[in-house]
Amino acid sequence: MEAVLITLAAALAVAVPALATAWAQSRIGTAAAAALAEKPELRTTAILMIAIPETMVILGFVVAAAILFR
Amino acid sequence: MIIAMSKVRILGRRDRLSDVLRTLQDLSLLHLAAPQATPDAPLGRAVLGASQERERRHLQQVLADIDAGLDELHLRPPPVAALQSSARAAPADFVRWARLAWRVRREAERLRLQIVALDEEKALILKYQQFFSAFRALLEAETHWPNATAYHVLVRGSDAGAIPKLRASLAAAIGADFEIYTQPLASGEIALLIVVAAPSARRVEQLLAQAQVQEIPVPAQYGGGGLAQAIPRMLERLGQIPSARDQAVRRQQQLAREHGAELMRARAAVHDRLRELEAVPLTGVTPHAFVLEGWVPTRSRRTLEDRLAAQYGAAVAVEEISMEEWASEEAPVVLSNPRLLRPFEALVGVFPLPSYGTIDPTPFVAVFFPAFFGLMVGDIGYGIVLALIGLALHHWSRPSTLLRTVSEIIGPCALFTIIAGFLFGEFFGDAGSRLGLKPLAFDRHEAMIPFLLLAVSLGAVHILLGMGLGIASAIRRHPREALGRGVSTIMVVLVILALLAAVKVLPRSFFTPAVIGLLIAFPALIVLEGIVAPIELLSTLGNILSYARIMALGIASVMLAVVANKMVGAIGSLAVGVVFALLFHLVNFAIALFSPTVHALRLHYVEFFGKFYSPGGVRYQPFGHWTPARPAA
Repeated sequence: MEAVLITLAAALAVAVPALATAWAQSRIGTAAAAALAEKPELRTTAILMIAIPETMVILGFVVAAAILFR
Repeated sequence: MIIAMSKVRILGRRDRLSDVLRTLQDLSLLHLAAPQATPDAPLGRAVLGASQERERRHLQQVLADIDAGLDELHLRPPPVAALQSSARAAPADFVRWARLAWRVRREAERLRLQIVALDEEKALILKYQQFFSAFRALLEAETHWPNATAYHVLVRGSDAGAIPKLRASLAAAIGADFEIYTQPLASGEIALLIVVAAPSARRVEQLLAQAQVQEIPVPAQYGGGGLAQAIPRMLERLGQIPSARDQAVRRQQQLAREHGAELMRARAAVHDRLRELEAVPLTGVTPHAFVLEGWVPTRSRRTLEDRLAAQYGAAVAVEEISMEEWASEEAPVVLSNPRLLRPFEALVGVFPLPSYGTIDPTPFVAVFFPAFFGLMVGDIGYGIVLALIGLALHHWSRPSTLLRTVSEIIGPCALFTIIAGFLFGEFFGDAGSRLGLKPLAFDRHEAMIPFLLLAVSLGAVHILLGMGLGIASAIRRHPREALGRGVSTIMVVLVILALLAAVKVLPRSFFTPAVIGLLIAFPALIVLEGIVAPIELLSTLGNILSYARIMALGIASVMLAVVANKMVGAIGSLAVGVVFALLFHLVNFAIALFSPTVHALRLHYVEFFGKFYSPGGVRYQPFGHWTPARPAA
């Protein structure tokens, strides 16, 4: 039972931030696409902006790894 | 690094201004700035005279003609060496170039319009091509009817049943004075030729109009006798179009050959002269003297002084303006890095230039960017493929292009990827370990926690380096800010020491002194940096944790590679398994090119640059000869 709970906790640690990241990236992606239509020179900045919310899922992944390998 | 600049003032007799400007243009060293008048030295601003203003407007028109002419002839100017003083154009040259540019532009535009018209005409005739073959047989019938009128009609295939009705209607209206010939087309439609005796033509036209049946329109230029007469004319014209088009294209090429090089020379000369005229309003003048001010790289100041002294002697004086008289933010910035590091200036160039007097991050980016990229991909096989791609790009690209820069950045990235591959014992995932390859450090497939510690430790080093650079950057201009940054850096170090002692990586005896140090530093930080300083401190610790992405992306990369290798055994056929494995490796490699690049950049731009980078520098643009813009690839 404990192993199941640990696995579930690790899964949630990745899944919840992944959903949050996806939501944030969808919003940023929409805005970036609109901005690029006006100013194509913002391409690099747009890609970086889209990468910023990935911090959440990456930290979630780290927490999951810490839970599984503690 | 940002090269040191000196601000200089050039004074001379007003009648020598044009000559001095030309010398400065040849030297291409001085970044001009409008001189400031002072109460004890009132200065007017030089303005273009009426003739110079006329000349400027005329040259702009000539330039527009040259650009349009070159564009019409599809000539893209190659990077050419700047014109030197010996090649400076005479007024007669400008007159000749103006005439030439106008003539070439007019003729090139005429040729383009002619070619477009010929292409359109050909397309129009080809649209009638299917009718030609369909009506050919019918047209022969048309010739058997003297004094007859012919109508050429298209009917949809689905309306084929209407043809007998049409025949019946015509018979009822005009009796037997008509004939209908039909021919099915490849498109499914039916071509109809209705031949009627001339006296009945008006009645037939009324019937067709009532039935809303339209004749095939004959283009006006071939009209005057219906389709039967138009078709031979159109076919004859179709045969003439290719030669007419070739003739126009040959004339275009001849124009390009005869005048292309001359127009490019003219373009450079006109740009040069315009620059010279545009420099005049940046000059301060008194009734008898002129004053020019600007920045020159300190290492080139002597060259400027020597050249002006040699050319004008005592008539022109150059003096250096002391640093106390100008703010460093005003000075233009030019980055100068060793050949190996220079490609990484493109990555820094995404940001506005750093302010003068701050730090150019290029050398640090050149070391850490490939290192982070290598740690994330970390595979000997992928590194070799990347190196081959880099070599191919280098081979196929021209110097000073974006592709060449990319190829030169790929090189160090591939090298670090291969080194990291040896550290982690990876060759296309776990294929290396199956062949006996052992990791020199640890197997990141198994040892996630050591990899995480490595990533975060690297983050701590990178962030602390950034904070150190922030102190160095601020120490001269803003000592209080530098002190605050110093306290903040010490506190980050103390937090790291306390954490390491708490998890027993360091001896426990480190813990208490580190916490005491933090308690002492905290009030100092508030005093120096304000109430937001603790939040910034926490954000810095978050920045360090953000480097965990190196581990996360690295693990994802190796896991995908391992899954790819497992496909070889998982699918029944070995050959199919190998193909699937290769495809999966290809996908993983594509992800490995994109994702680590974006995240390594992000670690630099957001985490590292945020600690010290001070944008807002003005680009150094010396007053010199015009050169064409650098090609994109």
